[in-house]
Amino acid sequence: MSLRVRGLHKEYGARTVLDGIDLDVPSGGFVAVLGANGSGKSTALRCVVGLEAPTAGEITIGGNGRASMVFQKIHLVPRRSVLDNVCAGALGRLPLRRSLTPALFPRTLREEAMDCLHRVGLADRAGERAGRLSGGQQQRVAIARALCTQAGVLLADEPVSALDPRAAEQVVALLAELAGDGLAVAAVLHQPSLARRYADRIVGLLDGRVRFDAVPSAVTDSEIDRLYVPDRASVPAE
Amino acid sequence: MSLSLKTAPAPPRRRGPSAAAWTAAALLAVVHALALEGTGFSLTTLAQGWQGMAAFVGDALPPDLDWTGTLGPSLRAAAVTLYIGLLGTTLSVPFALVLAVLAARVTSYGTVPYQAARSLLSFLRSVPDVVFALIFVTAVGLGPFAGVLALVVHNTGVMGKLWAEAMEESDPGPREALRVLGASRAQTALHAVLPTVLPQLVGLLLYRFDVNVRASLVLGLVGAGGIGFLINQSIKLFRFDQMATHIFVVLILVIAVDQLSALVRRRISP
Repeated sequence: MSLRVRGLHKEYGARTVLDGIDLDVPSGGFVAVLGANGSGKSTALRCVVGLEAPTAGEITIGGNGRASMVFQKIHLVPRRSVLDNVCAGALGRLPLRRSLTPALFPRTLREEAMDCLHRVGLADRAGERAGRLSGGQQQRVAIARALCTQAGVLLADEPVSALDPRAAEQVVALLAELAGDGLAVAAVLHQPSLARRYADRIVGLLDGRVRFDAVPSAVTDSEIDRLYVPDRASVPAE
Repeated sequence: MSLSLKTAPAPPRRRGPSAAAWTAAALLAVVHALALEGTGFSLTTLAQGWQGMAAFVGDALPPDLDWTGTLGPSLRAAAVTLYIGLLGTTLSVPFALVLAVLAARVTSYGTVPYQAARSLLSFLRSVPDVVFALIFVTAVGLGPFAGVLALVVHNTGVMGKLWAEAMEESDPGPREALRVLGASRAQTALHAVLPTVLPQLVGLLLYRFDVNVRASLVLGLVGAGGIGFLINQSIKLFRFDQMATHIFVVLILVIAVDQLSALVRRRISP
C-alpha cells in the first residue's frame, strides 16, 4: 500500500471540509477522485502533500515517504527551459551550492530529467522555453517534474480542467500509464467519462465524506450524478 | 396589464456628496490657504519681477559653445554624472537583492530577519542621498566617488523596497509547486520567485538608473563632481551663458537616458 489515509478531518474554524476521509492508493494503482466544487477533494490532496495541516487523521506514505503533486494551473516557470523546470523537481535532494542557478545542476540530474521527459514523451522539447509549449504539453512537463522528485506517490489536483478534450485525454492516459509502471497515482477529475475509462478505482466525495469507492464497472451513472446535484435538500431520499 | 409595467421606472436619484466629503473639501481649502500664505505665493510679485528673469535669460543666451572652455568640459562632466548614476545603480544590486529577498514575506526567513531587513530598507530610503553624500565627503573628500557611495546606499533602500514588493506580488503557484516537490525556502526563491519576477526587477532597475542619473546631477551641486558641479560654479561666477550650455547638455543626457530605459523596458515586458 503506497498511500494510506485514515479518518482525515479538516476544519476551518466552524466549517468542516473533510469529515473522516479514508483513501487507499496502492503502488501501480490509479484512483480517480470525483466530487463537486467544495466537496473537499483538493483539500484532501493538499493535506497529503503538507500544504494544509489536517485537524485529525493519519496519512501514511510508503516507499521513500514522499508524495509529489501536479496542479490545475501547472505552475511551471515559463521563462526557463523545459529541462530546467524538470530538474527543479530534484531541488529537495540538492545542496544549495549545487542549486544556486540551473547552470550548477549536476550532469547526472540532467540525464535523469531527460529520462523523466522521455517518459512523458517530450524529450525532444527539452531545450525550449516552457512557456512556448501548449497547455497539455506543459502539464506533461509538470508531470515529468513530479517524476524527477523520485516520489512513489503522484497526486494530481484537477490536472486537465484547463485543457481541451484531446489534451485532457492524453494527460489522463499518461497518468494511467505511469500507474502501470508502479507509481501510486490519485487524480482529482471533473470528467467522469475519463475516470471510467482510465482509473482502476473511482472515489466519490460529497460534503467531505467518501460516498463510494469502487471499481468503475461497479459505479452507476446515477451515483456519480448525485455528487453534482446543486441543492441536495431538494433530492428525495431513496 | 397596468400602465406602470410598460414604462421603465425612473432612474434612482443621484446622491450628493456626503458630509465627510464636504468636510474633507473644506479642510483641503484651509490647508491650501495656509500653504499659499506660508510660501509667500504672489502672482503680482512674479509679474513685477519679469525684467529680472528677462535679464537672466538674456545673459544666458546665446549659450557659450566654446569647445575648450565650456562645451568640452561640459560633455566630460556629463559623462561623469552618467557614470555616478550608473555605478550608484549597479553596485547597489547585490545589497538590494539580498535585502529584498529578506524583506519579502514570501521569501523571508522568519519574523526577525524580515523586520530587520524592512527597517534597514526604510532607514536607507528615508535619509536623502544628499545627506549620505555630505557624510561620505567627510570620508573620501569632494568628488564623484562620494556621489557614487551616496547613491549606492540610498538606492539600496529604494530599489530593495521596490523589488521586495514585486516579489510579494508574484504568482504564488510556482512557489507552492516547488515547496511541495521538496525545495527549501532559498531554493524556492531562486527557482520560482526570482525567474518569475525578473522582468519586473529589470524594469525597476532601469527606472532607478534613470532617477539616479538625475539625482547625481543634484549631488554635483553639493560637491560630488559631475556636471552639477559645473552648473554651480558657473552660477557663482555669473557666467550664465556657460550655465546655459551645461543645462542643454543635461537636458540631452536626461532625455537620452529616459528614452533608452523606456525602450529597454518595452522590449523586456512580456
